[in-house]
Amino acid sequence: MKKWFFLSAAMAATVLSLSMVAIAAPQEDATPPERVPGKPPQRGPAGPTPRLSDGKPDFSGVWNGQQIVTEKGLVAAAGPGSAAEVPPMLPWAAKVTADRAATSYADDFEARCLPGTPPRIPPYHMSLFSTPKLVLVLFEGNTHMYRQFFVDGSDHPKNLKPTFYGDSRAHWEGDTLVVDTTGFNDISWVDGRGHPHTKQMHLTEKFRRPDYGNLAIDVVIDDPGTFTKPWIMHRVATLETGMEMTEYVCNENNQDPGHLDKAH
Amino acid sequence: MRIYAGVLIAGLCLLGGAIPVMAHHSFAAEYDANKPVTITGTVTKVEWMNPHARFYVDAKGADGQVNNWNFELGAIPSLLKRGWRKDSLKEGDQVTVEGLRAKDNSYTASAVKVSLPDGRKVFAGSAAPGAEQ
Repeated sequence: MKKWFFLSAAMAATVLSLSMVAIAAPQEDATPPERVPGKPPQRGPAGPTPRLSDGKPDFSGVWNGQQIVTEKGLVAAAGPGSAAEVPPMLPWAAKVTADRAATSYADDFEARCLPGTPPRIPPYHMSLFSTPKLVLVLFEGNTHMYRQFFVDGSDHPKNLKPTFYGDSRAHWEGDTLVVDTTGFNDISWVDGRGHPHTKQMHLTEKFRRPDYGNLAIDVVIDDPGTFTKPWIMHRVATLETGMEMTEYVCNENNQDPGHLDKAH
Repeated sequence: MRIYAGVLIAGLCLLGGAIPVMAHHSFAAEYDANKPVTITGTVTKVEWMNPHARFYVDAKGADGQVNNWNFELGAIPSLLKRGWRKDSLKEGDQVTVEGLRAKDNSYTASAVKVSLPDGRKVFAGSAAPGAEQ
């Protein structure tokens, strides 16, 4: 009886420790299946959409980095700002974009820990926090900044000072939060491909949380100073369930600027 | 297999943006996908800091001179998601690193693959921040 007990305990312990090693082993590098162009993107965990006290969707949670998808919801064939998706640009903007490409985007100030502002996809995680009157977005990466979507019926203030992140006012259309942002300065890039914008840029972002683990953001960039027609993008993000956001201080050990300046 | 993987990753870097991953800025501005290096030596320091984790390796060059190489990895959030930790690599570890050299030709490279003497890979899935926005 005793022998059997110890034998099974030993076997159970072996199985347990082997399975723990398997769980703990980090992933090998490979193209994650959820990033294959033309295929469906990764899906977050299933479950009903969480709701606020007023019945509206609650976006609260830590979300993984946004992925660009097509109108049909499949992984887009190329990364942000690729030639295929950019609307025709005014000549000055086409030239600026080409100049930036010529240096492999060495002037990108995200590399210097300056803001890469909306509509640029923020790196790493973002954390959303919803209340009935305010949705707060915290960014893990870049400058550790935040956005505030005021859902209190207020309008954009008059005489907005142009800023990196603009001023956001939002309202609900059914279960979709429509966020209207203006008041941008013209310093940031629309994306890592150097597409510029002017202070005229007007951003409309529609946020949906169709179920527990998934976020959808449809973006319309309206900037007649740069593009001849609106630029529409579809993005999705999955809920991060494995970790909290980390503290990321971009200036902590930023050696990139030194390399960028020497190479160009 | 190793060479193929290196070429594949270099190719992906060249495609630039074909696979959107979490990251922040252009790889090609700093590193040259046409300058692969393979360095074997001893880890002298690991910097578990942002915006990129780094580790440094003392390695003998062709001329017998020991150079200290500066290898760049992804950001801490990316490494943590892949299961790597601050002590995944330690000072004194022997490593072989396949990387892509900095355009300014310094002893700096973006680490593509890091292997221990027994063949185990470290920081896999989070190295060489190429092909990203």
